[in-house]
Amino acid sequence: MSPLEIGVVIGIVTIVVLASGIPIAFGLGAVAVGFLVIFDGWGSLDIIADTFFSGLAEFALVSIPMFVLMGAAVASSPAGKDLYEALDRWLHRVPGGLIISNIGACSIFAALSGSSPATCAAIGKMGIPEMRQRGYPDGLATGAIAAGGTLGILIPPSVTMIVYGISTETSIGRLFIAGLLPGLMLTVLFMAWALFAAWRGGYRFSLTDAGYTLRQKLQILPRVLPFLAIIAGVLYVLYGGIATPSEAAGVGALLCIVLVVVIYGLFLRSWPYRRIWEILGDSMRESVMILMIIGASALFSYTLSSLFVTQSIAEWIGGLDVNRWVLMAMINVFLLVCGFFLPPVAVILMTAPILLPIVTSAGFDPYWFAVVLTINMEIGLITPPVGLNLYVINGIAPEISLPTILKGALPFMLAMALGIVLLCIFPEIATWLPDAVMGPAI
Amino acid sequence: MDLFVAIVRRLSQICGVVSALVLAAAVLVVCQMVVMRYILNESTVWQTEFVTYSIVGATLIGSPYVLLRRGHVNVDLLPLYLPHGARMVLAYLASFVALAFCAALTYTGAELWYEAWAGGWTTDSIWRLPLWIAYAPIPLGVGLLCLQYVADILCLMTGREMPFGLQPGDQP
Repeated sequence: MSPLEIGVVIGIVTIVVLASGIPIAFGLGAVAVGFLVIFDGWGSLDIIADTFFSGLAEFALVSIPMFVLMGAAVASSPAGKDLYEALDRWLHRVPGGLIISNIGACSIFAALSGSSPATCAAIGKMGIPEMRQRGYPDGLATGAIAAGGTLGILIPPSVTMIVYGISTETSIGRLFIAGLLPGLMLTVLFMAWALFAAWRGGYRFSLTDAGYTLRQKLQILPRVLPFLAIIAGVLYVLYGGIATPSEAAGVGALLCIVLVVVIYGLFLRSWPYRRIWEILGDSMRESVMILMIIGASALFSYTLSSLFVTQSIAEWIGGLDVNRWVLMAMINVFLLVCGFFLPPVAVILMTAPILLPIVTSAGFDPYWFAVVLTINMEIGLITPPVGLNLYVINGIAPEISLPTILKGALPFMLAMALGIVLLCIFPEIATWLPDAVMGPAI
Repeated sequence: MDLFVAIVRRLSQICGVVSALVLAAAVLVVCQMVVMRYILNESTVWQTEFVTYSIVGATLIGSPYVLLRRGHVNVDLLPLYLPHGARMVLAYLASFVALAFCAALTYTGAELWYEAWAGGWTTDSIWRLPLWIAYAPIPLGVGLLCLQYVADILCLMTGREMPFGLQPGDQP
């Protein structure tokens, strides 16, 4: 068999194995080990533990549990609720303020956590009941949160960007900056659609609701501003190149936990200290899940390259001699389909090392491509069959049917597709800020 | 058999606690490192390696607990649409494939650990951490992961647990 044929067989077997419902980490590992043994004999078993271990033993990966912890400190404590309430109190008077503040809350939370399902769950728990109570249509309310939640992996810090940076050996700090403006652009697109849909759906924004007094507005600030200051601090440290992502994330995580303990445990006495276990436990589970996939993917890509599959695919596509935009469109469709079935981290780990050389030799910027890839993954998060965010929403609001959530999310998918088109026409959206802050890419 | 399942579950829970504590320790050490490096302007010796290896350790040691809590993300589309009987077959298949991989990882991990221990391998840094310490979580954590899988398969066989945690009537 030629390496290319082996590649096709591996692809099919991987799909079949993962469809069995096996945990993705172990499925990927089993496929990798199986093919190694078949083609290279039992002797190749020796490298399993070492490859898995080396795939995980990277200082940059430390930033993943740290950022997860930072998000969990807010999501698994009353801080998330306060953050949400503060936005609502301040944006109350803006027409359509509630849905706007919900999407805004998603993007701010995205800047805290780096994970999409976490963003979705944290904001959705408060936002969806509130929006429904004030008469927003079910589909719009859930769709907005599902889509807003996906911003978690685009707006820095982002777990998927860290994974992309490690697997393609690009700068994580630069990737983070590249994601910032596109993230804000998507936020604005989402808000625009939400306003239009609410207006078209017959929802009339009334300004006669009992507003909040200035006192109420100011009262909540001391509980929220420190968290925003931490986000700003972490991003400043990262972008200034002052510290590595792992260091910034570690300090951010500790500060967030200390703040939760001080504000809610010591000051308001509304939060018993033993609940710190919840924060630790939640983040441990999430990081173990992600990191096990990363370790198994190290085995998977080792198998692919030792059987020359990676290199052959790159050569084959390089020899196709198609227009670079046709190539980019093909890659986008491919990523989109992968994203329908697999979580973003798995897709990036399996495809980025293969795709990046192809993309860069076609003259595309690797940081721009990271953003396009991430938006593709975001779309996958709110499309069936394996749209993680849809199921998170379904878990929060079981009384709203999945088809309703889906229908509500569809326009937001189109907004993301529009975002990709805009990025293709104006690549500067992703490349201008990193160039301005860190100097032009080499 | 109940005893076996109970013991394995308890071990997995202990693993979860250990893993969470190691994670917490890693956070503190990262912060200590930042203070040393950026505030006191001193060089750091052991922190980078300590943090890197403790996160690897926390991951491997935490994995049996995450399996116990069904926290390893999977694609459960096909199981969701299948009738109960076929779901059962699929659950066995998936569990055995996963167990085979974990067993291979445990075995080679144990070999690696032994080689590092017998050969006195250390890391390249000035700290010279003996590598057997860094490798120990592979046979330990993944070994327990295997046990947790065996317990899960036993529960599946005796009807204590439903395949993929789905009840017979759970169809979309």
